[in-house]
Amino acid sequence: MRATTWQGKKHVEVVQVPEPQILNARDAIIKITATTICGSDLHLYNGFMPSMQKGDILGHEFMGEVVELGKGVKNLKVGDRVVVPFAIACGNCESCEMGNFSCCENSNPTGWMPEKMMGHATCGAFGYSHLTGGFAGGQAEYVRVPFADFGPIKVPKNLTDEQVLFLSDIFPTGYMGAEFCEITPKKVIAVWGAGPVGQFAIASAKMLGAERIIAIDRFPYRLKMAAEKAGATDVINYEEQDVQEVLRDLTAGRGPDACIDAVGLEAHGHGLQYAHDVVKQKAKIQMDRPMAVREAIMACRSAGIVSILGVYAGFVDKFPLGALMNRGLTIKTGQCHVHRYMKPLLERIEKGEIDPSFVVSHHMNLDDAAKGYDMFMHKQDEVMKIILRS
Amino acid sequence: MTTADVAPTGLARGLGWFSVALGIGELVAPKKLAQLIGIEEDGATSFVMRLLGAREITAGLGVLAAPQRPGTLWARVAGDIIDLGLLGLAAGTKRTSAPRLAAAVAAVGGVMALDIIAARRADKVRDAANQPVIFSVTINKPPREVYDFFRKLDRLPLFMDWLESVTETSGTRSTWVAKLPVGTVSWDATITEDTPGEAIAWEALDSLVETEGRVTFTRTPGRDMTEVRVEMKLGFSGMGPSAKLAKYFAKPQIKGDLRRLKQVIETGEVLMSDASQHTKPHPAQPSEEHDKAPKLFIANETTAVKGVTP
Repeated sequence: MRATTWQGKKHVEVVQVPEPQILNARDAIIKITATTICGSDLHLYNGFMPSMQKGDILGHEFMGEVVELGKGVKNLKVGDRVVVPFAIACGNCESCEMGNFSCCENSNPTGWMPEKMMGHATCGAFGYSHLTGGFAGGQAEYVRVPFADFGPIKVPKNLTDEQVLFLSDIFPTGYMGAEFCEITPKKVIAVWGAGPVGQFAIASAKMLGAERIIAIDRFPYRLKMAAEKAGATDVINYEEQDVQEVLRDLTAGRGPDACIDAVGLEAHGHGLQYAHDVVKQKAKIQMDRPMAVREAIMACRSAGIVSILGVYAGFVDKFPLGALMNRGLTIKTGQCHVHRYMKPLLERIEKGEIDPSFVVSHHMNLDDAAKGYDMFMHKQDEVMKIILRS
Repeated sequence: MTTADVAPTGLARGLGWFSVALGIGELVAPKKLAQLIGIEEDGATSFVMRLLGAREITAGLGVLAAPQRPGTLWARVAGDIIDLGLLGLAAGTKRTSAPRLAAAVAAVGGVMALDIIAARRADKVRDAANQPVIFSVTINKPPREVYDFFRKLDRLPLFMDWLESVTETSGTRSTWVAKLPVGTVSWDATITEDTPGEAIAWEALDSLVETEGRVTFTRTPGRDMTEVRVEMKLGFSGMGPSAKLAKYFAKPQIKGDLRRLKQVIETGEVLMSDASQHTKPHPAQPSEEHDKAPKLFIANETTAVKGVTP
């Protein structure tokens, strides 16, 4: 089969690889009907995520048709149309029992790696380095899905791929970020990053009833989508405006009640601190460029909530811990507990409360994945979300 | 670590500071120091003195960084021996002042005695802290169930992937066969303690590799889960099993074994990934052949997987 593989920094290639087989009894093999390039794939593409190996199949947001089942999977049958959560969870461990699916204790066969880097193991995930288990990803024709009796959800025929595909990652991720903010109508929410996850954080904040939502980005087309499609009431282009000043003005000095970081470790910015981050990241003495989360902390209202969705990998410097502590901020973060949100969000889609297809900007053939990565990376052609099909 | 364990580092810290101070003296004022210990200064003496100074500072900082560790203190003792040797060499030459040199030898000897005391104290504290618990894991099943799973010794190879087979030959005796890098090895083990739902202990003392182990199953406070702890001692024929050796040789393996035990009991089998099904590093992509495979799926047996509905 054809699959998008990581070949090195800024180098992906669609190559022929063997087709996946059932390895565990609770596995399923899925024929991929639609998959995407996620913003977090760019961290792998740009070489900021450790433990990648040449030949790793990328892709963690996908859906498809069940073509083969292990003998332990009773709830699916061949031919079912399913969306697969990017995080792999067993459904049996204590973390899963508590609903913290992205902290699953059994789904990462290389758990000893994050245990060393991060103190404890993380869950397994598709196509996301060897820190998360070394599972082949979904930017391919077929994929093996472990714990298929627990993760994938069946989706109704009357909904299009574009409407349900993002249940796999970015919609639940954006939604969780908004849910962290304990939204009530009177709350002001600011969202750093108007990429696909940022759009869903904004759309979810609106769905949950926030009256004022401020989107922050540097690309006018993304801010336009945030305002016109997702529901942002105000936008800030940080290339033109001082974010802290505008946020202070918009909230008459209070600051947003909750700030969502939908940017992560490759944030852009200005000034000395940004230059310092870039140099350190290039010299490999700091894995992350935490500009967005620093700004979010400084801007946030005292005793407010900072919700971190952007992916971070390691240790950071110049982190405003003093502001965090002295102003009583709460940080809520995590890889999305996708399994928790898939069914409720599918219901919202079915009821017409939201149509996630608004973020789709490009359809491409799987063979053109390399072009897609390059385009997404350089934000060409007003790219927002690319869907790949084989 | 308790306060009692921490307390005896005072002497070590003192020696660390002394070492740093002496080192700075040797680096900054080698001539004066040479005079003080009765050696007539020449270029070579200053050079050696500065080298010794650098060594003193390194050793001192090492001790200060981790005053509880015996290693750096024993390194200081080695340094003292070198110093005494050098003083001995100096005594053989003519340009020395005998009384001053004798005083220097006495001083170094005194410090060496203190170094030895501090190092032996650190050794003792470390031995006391050397608990035989190698690794532990929490399993989301009641202790009795985890014990029952573990007690059927023929199941051990399901998660201890270095074992070929375990066969129970009588009530307490069993034969273990392992694939080790050196070849297939077999030995007999005896169960020495068996408290259902609480603990199993064994020993295998009549073989090349001697082991003594104990696994305990404790209920997690407030939840019906099991804390599994493995204690182990290991030795090579005749020397007697030691916890230190077990930590060194067996810990990495036991960590993996316990992680897999948790997987088998909680989810039914050991989860494989495209990379982990190979012994050697392999990219995350499917392959036609692999050298590891899960051995059993037990979801429908008595240790049934209790699923959560998201």
